Amino acid sequence: MKATLRSFLRERGLGLEGRPATILGGASLAYVFGAVLMFLVVVEAVSGIALAAFYAPSSTDAWASVAYLQDQASLGWLVRGLHYHGASAIVIISGFHLVQTALYGAYKKPRELVWWLGILLMMLTLAWAVTGFVLRWDQAGYWANKVEVGIAAATPLLGATIKKVALGGNDYGNLTLTRFYTLHVMILPVVVGGVIAGHVALARKLGTTPLRERTEANAPRWPAQTLRNTIAIAVVFAILLAYVISAHGADLAAPADPSQAYDARPLWYFRWLFELRELAGPAEKLVALATPAIVIGALVALPLVDHGPSREPTRRLPYLGGLAGLLALIGGLTIASLASDAGNDELAKRDAKAEERAVLARKLARENGVPATGAADVFLTSPMAKGRALFAARCKSCHEAGSKDRKGPIIAPGHGNRAWIAGMIKNPDADAYWGRTKLSKTEAAMRPFEQMKSPDVDDIIELIYAESGASDVDPAKRDRGVSVFENACSDCHSREDGMPGSSAPSLAGLASRAYYLSFISNPKSALHMGRDKSQMPRFDKELTLDERDALAEYLVWLRAATPADLAALDPY
Amino acid sequence: MADEDRRKFLKVATCAIGGGVGLVVAGPALTLLADPAGRVTVTTPTAPLDLGLAEQFQAGAPPRRVDIVAPIVRDAWVAARNVVLGAAWLRRTAPDTVVALSAVCPHLGCAVGWDAGAGNFLCPCHDSRFSVAGEKLTGPSERGMDELPLQIVDGRLQLTWVRYKAGLTVREPA
Repeated sequence: MKATLRSFLRERGLGLEGRPATILGGASLAYVFGAVLMFLVVVEAVSGIALAAFYAPSSTDAWASVAYLQDQASLGWLVRGLHYHGASAIVIISGFHLVQTALYGAYKKPRELVWWLGILLMMLTLAWAVTGFVLRWDQAGYWANKVEVGIAAATPLLGATIKKVALGGNDYGNLTLTRFYTLHVMILPVVVGGVIAGHVALARKLGTTPLRERTEANAPRWPAQTLRNTIAIAVVFAILLAYVISAHGADLAAPADPSQAYDARPLWYFRWLFELRELAGPAEKLVALATPAIVIGALVALPLVDHGPSREPTRRLPYLGGLAGLLALIGGLTIASLASDAGNDELAKRDAKAEERAVLARKLARENGVPATGAADVFLTSPMAKGRALFAARCKSCHEAGSKDRKGPIIAPGHGNRAWIAGMIKNPDADAYWGRTKLSKTEAAMRPFEQMKSPDVDDIIELIYAESGASDVDPAKRDRGVSVFENACSDCHSREDGMPGSSAPSLAGLASRAYYLSFISNPKSALHMGRDKSQMPRFDKELTLDERDALAEYLVWLRAATPADLAALDPY
Repeated sequence: MADEDRRKFLKVATCAIGGGVGLVVAGPALTLLADPAGRVTVTTPTAPLDLGLAEQFQAGAPPRRVDIVAPIVRDAWVAARNVVLGAAWLRRTAPDTVVALSAVCPHLGCAVGWDAGAGNFLCPCHDSRFSVAGEKLTGPSERGMDELPLQIVDGRLQLTWVRYKAGLTVREPA
């Protein structure tokens, strides 16, 4: 049966014949790195295809689709983690591969081309990683890419063109992502695949390079070498998998936001260049461009300089020493960069804050979805986020209970509800009300209505409360309040739309959204405090209509809220 | 012979380890690819949608097309506002009744239009015709147009959007 199948295939040109590959000098663990790299490229391809089935390369959706992969799709975090950390594994194993090749002198004639294709593959791999990092469109990928493109833009003569071509126009946007995506999933895979094919075909044709040739130990590749390769693959993959599981995939910062500063750091394998730039000071761009060129130049030159016939490591000490020195320098700079970050307390604080934003953004994306306007707006899906943020920025110092510089009434949960109105009527000059305003203890201030008794006072509270448009008004009480208002309040206040009171604010629409919008826009309007009775500035020139409306919406929300409701909201 | 056995063992071991690793690589990727198939990825509102005042539809007038707009639609990672889900043809059939017919053709899901000249509905894809009441007249459609649940509450039209399976003689929610 087996034999029949074999001959069936052989007759149709699919036989596995040909000279069985021979490992010169016998199978060795030293030769496993190429196979491990091939395997890791397959892991990248498999995971990459699965990720591509979810990823959306658009500036509004990219982050959201990655967050969906990471936090919602089954095993998305695992596949994404294998893809991201698998790239790191490729960089590390490439290093081993390079060191083994150099140590064995396998770059020497006739294998120079294999060595050069290998150097090219390392460069392409790093470019592959750079084009992948920006795709997540989070703060980390976005800002790292800005720095990378900035360095490329410093290239003499071609810099400006390189930048425009990379970004797909004059600035970061949809075309930036579609370009990097095309590079990452179409162009680079094809190019890298072609170079790998050439590298492997040549290496196989020329055979392995044992340290010392012993013809009697020559052995077929299958199964002795293949088993060693497979075991190495299994060990590397087990380590990768364990790391990915312990890290729960790959990290994802908050959505890219050009207005939010971020401590951009490159992928770890570019850390040494990052550190070198810092050390270079004013010459940083020159160093960032020239250093990779020098390193690559040195590696390319190695077979040309070390061209003697001997592969004996002890006779090539200057070259191997040079390579060891280069690797030690790269390692040292990497450690120095990580150590200086680790010792920076200010950076740790900023990173912790950025991490808080990332956690919040991902929680909101999971619970509420991301608005079609873009992932950076995910923070606005937290209730009253915009109003709360504006209140904290523009209103808090004069209106929050705990503020040292408070100059106005306290604005807190319950502001404008029945209890608040009752307190106001009872003692307008109390600390929580007008006590700290310029109106306090002046002739123009409202007098306390302590003499008013229930049920009159309840009726008037209901009447004023009803102005807000709240849905829980008692109509009978409100209607009874009208005559009380005429007796007690109408000398100073008006209740008619658009009509100022004779000497005090109009109460029409009090504590409704439209009222707050109008009041915030211009408190000195004749309808509200009038020109001289308030210190509150007008905000119609400083805040947009949307912003003032967001504040008004928040104040309306506060009316029905308790301190616990406010505390339960996500931070903005 | 011992060497032969050893080689055989090495071959089996290589295939076993390689196969195991391959499964662990492919498993998560396939699980991820299959994920959307087992999930409601697009969530449309199930609550009735307000289509405005009922009095805009007068007895005797021809059916009028109304866009069905969802206040919010959750589509995988996006929560989009004011999304058009489809359309319905509305007509007052009695003093206190307005009827809504889904504009989705029951045949293969094209958008059914009103042929004012003929006074009946026409699907442009395969020429199915339906009477003003939605009954099947001619063409390949398996059933008449689908009526959508519509209520009048405080004088306002409240429509519940339902998609029905296409191509069946019976009406089944999709």
